[in-house]
Parts: sequence; C-alpha cells; structure tokens
Amino acid sequence: MSDTVALHAVGRRYGRTWAVRDVEVELSDGVIGLLGPNGAGKTSLLRVLATSLAPTTGRVSIFGWDAEVAEQRTEIRRRLGYLPQELGFPRGFTAFAFVDYVAVLKEWTDRTARHAEVRRVLDLVDLGAISTKRIRALSGGQRRRLALAQALLGQPRLLVLDEPTTGVDPEQRAGLRAVLAEAARTSVIVLSTHQTEDVAALCERVIVLDTGMVRYDGTVHDLVAAASGRVWVGDDPDPRAIASWRIGSGRYRNIADRAPSGAEAVEPTLEDAYLLLRAEAAHPERITT
Amino acid sequence: MTTATVTAPRTVRSRNPLWTLTGYEIRRLVRNPLFLVVVGFNAYAIYDTTSRVIFEADELGSIPAWLLGGMGMIIFCWLTQSTWRSAEALDVTPTAMPVRTTALCLTAVVPFGCAVLSLVAILVVRAPQGSWTYGVFDGADRAAVQVSQIVLPALGGPLLGVAIGRWTRQVWVGPAAELLIAGWVLLVEGLAFSYPDSQPVLLMRLFAPFALFTGSGDRGDFVETWRGSPAAFLAWQICLCALAVVAALLYQADPLLRRRLIHALFVLVPLTAGCYALAVTGGLQHAVTVVPGFAPRPS
Repeated sequence: MSDTVALHAVGRRYGRTWAVRDVEVELSDGVIGLLGPNGAGKTSLLRVLATSLAPTTGRVSIFGWDAEVAEQRTEIRRRLGYLPQELGFPRGFTAFAFVDYVAVLKEWTDRTARHAEVRRVLDLVDLGAISTKRIRALSGGQRRRLALAQALLGQPRLLVLDEPTTGVDPEQRAGLRAVLAEAARTSVIVLSTHQTEDVAALCERVIVLDTGMVRYDGTVHDLVAAASGRVWVGDDPDPRAIASWRIGSGRYRNIADRAPSGAEAVEPTLEDAYLLLRAEAAHPERITT
Repeated sequence: MTTATVTAPRTVRSRNPLWTLTGYEIRRLVRNPLFLVVVGFNAYAIYDTTSRVIFEADELGSIPAWLLGGMGMIIFCWLTQSTWRSAEALDVTPTAMPVRTTALCLTAVVPFGCAVLSLVAILVVRAPQGSWTYGVFDGADRAAVQVSQIVLPALGGPLLGVAIGRWTRQVWVGPAAELLIAGWVLLVEGLAFSYPDSQPVLLMRLFAPFALFTGSGDRGDFVETWRGSPAAFLAWQICLCALAVVAALLYQADPLLRRRLIHALFVLVPLTAGCYALAVTGGLQHAVTVVPGFAPRPS
C-alpha cells in the first residue's frame, strides 16, 4: 500500500467552466495548506480528494487505490475523514448522537468501542461537556467543531478539511491546531482555509490555487522568503504598492518592489507572500523581479 | 481541548454495519414523537372499538392503515430526508447508500409489527354483530382482507416513504403523497358505493395501495360486498412493497447493483400487473348485498 495521495492531471469541469485544471500533486504525511481566492477551485479539489466528486479528467490515487473503482473507493473511504465547507445537521440530533451515527456509517459496530471513540473526538474538539445538547442549541463555532469531530473519527489516514476554523474563536482555533498537528504525525491532512495564520502555524507545505490551477506548490518558508525585501512599513500609503493598509500603530504596511520614501523593510508574513503571489498572477507587468 | 486522547482506540469494525445501522434507525424511529403519537392513537382507537357495535368488518381495518400506513409513510419519508443536509459528509463514509436505504427499509418492521399486534387486538376485542358483517366473504377471503387492510399498509406505507424520501428533499412531498393516496381511496370508495357493479370503478378502486371490499348502510342495516379478489389484491400490495424497495435502493446504487435492480424490475413489474389483473378479474362478478336475517342478493 502506498503512503501517498497522488493527483495526476486532475481536472473538474462544471458545464463549460473548469473549476480545477491539470492539477498534478503528490501528498504525504503532514499538514498541507490549500490557499486561494474565492472561486479558485479549492473546494472542488477537496471534494475530488474526498471522493465526493469524480474528476472530469485525470486520475486520483489515494494510498495506491484508484478512486474511480467502486471497491477501491470504499477502501479509501475507510481511511478518510472529510469536513465539507458547509455541513448541515439532521434535526433532532444531539451532538453525541450525530457523531455516533457517523461512527456507525464508518463501520464502528461495537457499541462500547464506538461510544468511547465518539467521546474521544468530542473531547478533542472540546464538546465533551455539551455532547447531550441538541445541535440546534449549539453556536456556529460549536457546530463547526462538531463537524470536525465527525471527520476525526477513527484517526483517518487522510483528513480533508475545508475551512475547519471558520467561525471558531481564537482560543478554540489554537486548540484545534494542536489537535491537527498531532494527527499529522500519522495522517495526510489537506486543509483549505482563508486564514493564512492557520497555514503559517500548521503547514510545512502550501499549495496556492488560482483559477483552478496550481500557482504555487512548495514550502511555506520558501513562499514567505520570496516576499522578503518587498514588505515595508512607512508613515504613508505607497500608491505604487501591490497592497497597502493601515496597521494598528497608525502607520502603513506596503507590499511593494521598491521602498517607499521613509519606509523601513520588515519581515514578511505568509499573508504578505500570498498577496504578492496573487498580485503577480493578476498583474505580472507590475512586478519587477 | 488538547488534554483529550489524540490516538484512537483500536477499532472494532465490521465490514457490514447493516444490523447496527438498522438498530440505530429503529431507535430513531421509536423516539420520534410523531410515531409515538401515531402508535398511541392507534392503540386508543382499537381500544375504543370495544365500547361500540361493529356493523362492518372493514370499519376497523382502516384505522391502522391510515395511522401506521399513511402517517408511517410521512414519518419514514421525513426520517429518510433528515440526513440529506449532512449528505456531503455521510456519502463519503464506507457504508454505501443502498446499505443505508436497506437499514431504513428494515426499520419498517416496527410499524409492521405494530400492525400485526393491531390485527390480533382487533380480532380479540371487536364485537361484530354476526358473520354478515364480513359481507359474503368466506374464511380465506376474510383473512386476506384483514391482512391487506391492517398489516400490509403498515409495511408498504413506510417503504414508500423511504423511496419518496430518497428521491426528494422537500418535506411537503411525503404529506402530499399521503393526501393524494387518501384522496384517491376516498374517491374510489365513494364511486364504489354509487356504482358497485361498474367495471371502470372496479379498476380504479383496486388500482391503489389500499382498498375497501365492503360498504355498509349508515345504520348498519346491510353490508354490500364489492367485486374483486382480496387474495390477488394482497399479492398486488406485496408487489407494490417490493417495487417501493427497489425504487428506494436505486438511489445512488453502484452500476452493478443498479443493473441487478433493473433486472428485478423486469420480473416485478409484469408480476405486479398480473396480480392487479387477477385482483380485478377474480372474486365476485357482481356486488352482493347482505341484510341481516335475509339471503344475500345482487346489489
């Protein structure tokens, strides 16, 4: 059995529009961050990875199994945890009952072991104390954590998470990062998010998608390093800057190729690097390398 | 948050979670408030008959049919539809959709069991005025009528509910289907009273998942036995149950299963049509009226 998840020339089309095009990546243990603007194809790519959506072109091989073959797809699903972008819940379920129901579908047939596992994942996302509450009584952040709990059942080898920290408060988010970092020791975790700080904190590798294509695939460190010497803090906004915004100190953070007058260079963040990458894609003529 | 055990315990998994899932669905059903109300009301309605005089055998059969069958269809439809909001996560679990559908179909054993108990209770508690309350049906036909009116709807209704719930997402579809069936049955019953010997009315009356075979006067002074074969009608109902199961299982079936189900339909559909044909051609050729103390006569 292979240890990797491989996408070979994967494309997904809706009507005439390609959501994902020619994606060629190989993923191994660890947390892989997936960044990109809205409509970049992140969710479609994750759905393809989660066997929820068949690719229009190309081939998906997960731990050596072909997602197109029904029996092999079932084997993949035995090793999969998936958190969709928007997960609704059945009416009338408690948090425990919902995760328990998913556990049954994940073939946990022994009641004692199943309940122990359900309690474990609910504790992981800090919902153990309110597991008997009806889901409709939970807050948005609690529901998001509940959705994550079902994905964590059975410590899956492949964990596909679409915006797992949306609506989760900073303290809980830090806790979730710890859980995911621990799970990444033995699992491939693919994480789509708009929170660059989550990627910076968790991922060694990042994939940036734009208009369905891989724009960047490499380490977070290299991506951030590419922005080195292009981030400045000054008293005024730079009209030539790719991006410029007022920061808490009242000064302006500028992402620009040349230093604005009176500005000083600062260490770039992943967000700076991401914005730079996006700007390069949108206006290549504005970038001097 | 991080104090919890991160490592999962050794999994105790089975490659066939059907029975566990069926048990889970049964628990969901018996905790459903609407189902509890339906079962309670059904029990009360049967108990209530002990204080009344029964002029016509059909009078009692409709109660479990409407409650366990009709309401059962709505409840099962909603039970099936209840998980569609989580479909994106549930559909990528190793348990395929047809297994989940089978578990829901097996759950129909609960209303079916309730209906069997209802039949036993009705046989024990009711006080018919005489054998004329059954019209001119003999023992075998009486049994067929009772099973077709009391027991089979409680199986077929929920199974149809599962099929509807699998293929639709709108919550009003279940109640709308129930209203449609109820409206049809009431319409054809009314027509049967007015035109007991009419062939088109016979065709309409038995083209339903539930049918009455007798009608009585308001004061219980006569019982009219209508045309059609109760035994063949029972077979037609069983075929309809099988068709509902096949329709439900077709949802998200993999190509191999879909092919098998379609092959099954090639057998089931003609069989169903055959049973219907036997139901309308068999039995009495003319409606017969029984007046207590008098010999039966054509209506």
